[in-house]
Amino acid sequence: MASYGYIIAALFLPVFPLSMAFNMLYARTRSVALRVLLLLAWPQAGVAVLSVSSGDIPVWVILFAIWTALLYGVRALALREVSIWTGFLATSAWAVLWIPAYGGAESVQLQLYALGFSAPLVLLALLVTELERRFGAAYTGLYGGLAHALPRLSGVLVFVVLAITATPLFPGFATMLDVIVTALPAMPVVAAVLAGTWLLWSWAGVRLLHGLIIGPAGEAAPQDLSPSATWAYVAALGALFAAGIYAMGGLA
Amino acid sequence: MEQLIALVPALPLLSAALVHLFADRLGRQVARLSVAFATTTLILIVVILVAELTGHGPGQFALADGVGILVSDPLSALMGLLIAGISTIVHIYSVRYMAEEAGYARFFVLLDLMAATLLVMVAAGDLLTLLVAWHLVGVLLYFLLGHDTRSIGAYRYAFWTFFTYRIGDAALVLAAALLVYAYGTWSLAEIFQRIDQDTVAQTVFGFAVPEAVGWLLALAAFARSAQFLLHTWLPYTMDGPTPVSALMHAGIVNAGGFLVNRFAPVFVHAGDVLHGLFIVGLITAVIGSVLMLTQNDVKKSLGYSTMGQMGFMTMECGVGAFSLAIYHLIAHGLFKGALFLGAGGVIGAARKDDGVPKDHLYTFVVERRPARLRQPWIVMAMLTLAIPIVILVVAHWLVAQDFFQKQGAIVLLFFGWITGAQLIFATYRMRTQNVRRLLGLIVFSFTIIVLGYAAISHIFDLFLYPEAAFRDRIYAAAGFDVVWFDVLVVLVTCIIVLGWLGTYYSERNGKRRGDRPGRLWMSFYALVSREFYLTDVYGWASRAILNAASRLNVWLRWA
Repeated sequence: MASYGYIIAALFLPVFPLSMAFNMLYARTRSVALRVLLLLAWPQAGVAVLSVSSGDIPVWVILFAIWTALLYGVRALALREVSIWTGFLATSAWAVLWIPAYGGAESVQLQLYALGFSAPLVLLALLVTELERRFGAAYTGLYGGLAHALPRLSGVLVFVVLAITATPLFPGFATMLDVIVTALPAMPVVAAVLAGTWLLWSWAGVRLLHGLIIGPAGEAAPQDLSPSATWAYVAALGALFAAGIYAMGGLA
Repeated sequence: MEQLIALVPALPLLSAALVHLFADRLGRQVARLSVAFATTTLILIVVILVAELTGHGPGQFALADGVGILVSDPLSALMGLLIAGISTIVHIYSVRYMAEEAGYARFFVLLDLMAATLLVMVAAGDLLTLLVAWHLVGVLLYFLLGHDTRSIGAYRYAFWTFFTYRIGDAALVLAAALLVYAYGTWSLAEIFQRIDQDTVAQTVFGFAVPEAVGWLLALAAFARSAQFLLHTWLPYTMDGPTPVSALMHAGIVNAGGFLVNRFAPVFVHAGDVLHGLFIVGLITAVIGSVLMLTQNDVKKSLGYSTMGQMGFMTMECGVGAFSLAIYHLIAHGLFKGALFLGAGGVIGAARKDDGVPKDHLYTFVVERRPARLRQPWIVMAMLTLAIPIVILVVAHWLVAQDFFQKQGAIVLLFFGWITGAQLIFATYRMRTQNVRRLLGLIVFSFTIIVLGYAAISHIFDLFLYPEAAFRDRIYAAAGFDVVWFDVLVVLVTCIIVLGWLGTYYSERNGKRRGDRPGRLWMSFYALVSREFYLTDVYGWASRAILNAASRLNVWLRWA
C-alpha cells in the first residue's frame, strides 16, 4: 500500500518517467492562470500524498529522483521554448525534494521548500505571457537584444531567472544547501550529483538569458513593461528575497 | 566599535542603492557619489587595520544568532584594504573611462555591489555568509564582464567565467556541508576549534574529514584563481570593460589564496592537500608563463601572466608559506591593476611611437643580439650560481634565523636562487661599457628585492599568524619525507643545470645547425600557441552535451 502512495507522490513530485505527465500537461495548458495553479499546486499535492504515506521511502525512489533532477537539468540546456523550460526546471527542482523527505523533514518544511521553488517559476510563467503578447512567442534566439529594447522587462527577467536557479539570497539557495547537507552523511554521491544539478540550472539559466536579452536590439520596438507591472514584479521578488534570508536564518 | 565591521560592506551597498535611485536626476554626476562612498569605505578600512595593528580590533559583528557573522581579524583587515583600495582606484578611473558607454549608472551599481560582496566575503565569520558572498561574486562578475549587453562575445566569455566559478561554488558548498555534518555548526571559529579537539577521525570516501574538506576547498580555490585546467576563462575575458579586468586581475582572482589562508586550521590537518596545491601551482606557474610568452595580444598576455602569478601564489600555499601568498597576492594585485588600467594608454601611445629607446638594452632584449665580446664564461657561471644563493641565505638569516628548519622555506629559497641565477645568466652577454657597474646594479637590485621580500613576508607572518606554534604547524603540514625532499631538490637542480648547459651548447653550436627550428620544437610551439587545445576540448565537450540534450528532448518528445 505504501508503494502505491510513493508512486502517486512520484507523479506530483515528478520522478522520471512519471514526470512526463506533468510536462505534457504544462505544455498543453494555454491559460496562464492554470499554469500558475499547476506550478503552485502540483508539488504541494505531492508533499500531501507523501505525508500520508506510511513507511520509509525506498532508496531506489531517491535514486530515481536524483536521476530525474539531473536528467531535466541536462535537457533544459537545449531548450529554446521558455514555457517548456519552465516545466523542466520545475521538474528538476521538485524532484530534489525527495531528499529532505527521505531525511525525515516535516511536511510543513517540504511545503515551504516546494513553494520556494515554485514561486519564481510562477513569475516566469507570467513573464512568458508578456513576451508572447509582444512577440507572438516566448522563444530564445528569436529576437534577442531585449536588454536594450525592453530594459524593465529584461531586468525583471534576469532576477526571476536568478531566483529559479537558486542564487543567493533567494529561497532556492537555502533549500539546496539544506538538501545537500542532509544528503551528504548518508549519500555523498547523491550530494555531489545535486551540486552538479545546481550547476546545470545555472548553465540553463544563462543560456536562456543569452537567447533573450543579449545582442543588438531588433528593429521592432514593442512597449516595455509598465511601471506598475514592474513594481508588482519587484515587490514579488522582494518578498522572495526576504523569504530567502529568513530561510537561511533557519538553517543556522 | 563592532558596528564598524558591518559599516564597511554597508557603505558600498548604500551607494549602489543611491546611485540607482538618483541616476535619472543626477545623470553622469551620479558616479561622484559612488566614488565618495568608495573613498569613505577605504578610510574606514584603514581605521580598522590600524586598530588591528595596535591590538584593538573591533572583534565581530553578528546579524543574527550564529549567522551573518562578520569578523575583523588581521586577514580580513588586510584583504579588505586591498579590495577597498583597488575598488576606489577603479571607481575613479571609471568615471571618465565609462563616460561614453551605455548603462553608466548600472555599471557603478554593479561595481558597488561587487565591492560590498568582496568585503563580506573576506570578513565572513560563518560558512553561510561565506557561501553567499562567494557565489554572488561569480554572478556579479558575469554581469560586469557583460556590461555591454549588445556584445555577444563579451557575454560568451563572461559565461566561461561564470561556469568555472560555479564549479568552484559547488566544491565549496560540498566542503561546507561536510564541515557542518562533521562539526555541527556553521560558525568558522567553532569549526576550527572543534577540528583541533577532534580525536575521533571521521571519514568520507576513506579520507579524514579535514582532508576531504581540504581537497574540496582546493578545487574551489583552483577555479577562482585560474589554476591549470580551470584557467581558460581568465585570458578570454578581455571583451569586458578595462576597469573590470583590473578589478578582476587585481582583486577577485586572488580569492583562492584568501580561501586557503581563511581555512588554514583545516589545512594544518591536510598535508597531502598542501602537496597537491604545490604541484598544481607549479604546473600553473610554468604553463601560464609559457603561454604568456607566445601571446601577441597585450591584454591576453597579461591574462596569462596573472595565471602564472596565481600558480606561484598557490605554490606558496603548498609549501606552507600562507602569509607569503597573501603578500604576493597584494603585490601582484597592485602591479597588475596598474598594468591593466595603463594598458589602454600604452596601446594608444604605441600607435604613434613605440617608445622603446634604441639602446643596448633594446638590441639585447628585443632584437636578441648579444654582445660579441663576452666576459669569461667560467667566472660568470660561478658568479651566476654563487651570488643569488649568498644573498638569499644572508637575507633570510638576517630576518628569521630558524628559516632553514622549514622545507617550504628551502623550496622558496631554491626558486629564488634559480630566478636570480637566471637573471645574471641572461644579462652576462649584454653589451656594456662597465661590466662591474652592470653587475653591481644587478646584485644591488636583487639584494633589495630579496631583503624586502624576506622582511615583508616575515612581518606578514607575524601579523597574520601571531602564534608561533601555529606557524610551525603549517610548515610541518606542508613538509614531507626528508629523503624524498632531498632527492627532488637534487633532481630539479640537475634538470635546471642541464637546461643551462643545453642553452650554452646550442648557442655555441647554433651556427653549425643553422636557424631552422626542429620539427619537435615547431610541434611544441603549435601546441602552446593553440593553448594546448584546451579551449577546443572544452568547446567540443559542451557542444556534445548540448547535442545529447537536444537528442534526448526529441526522443522524449519534449516532455
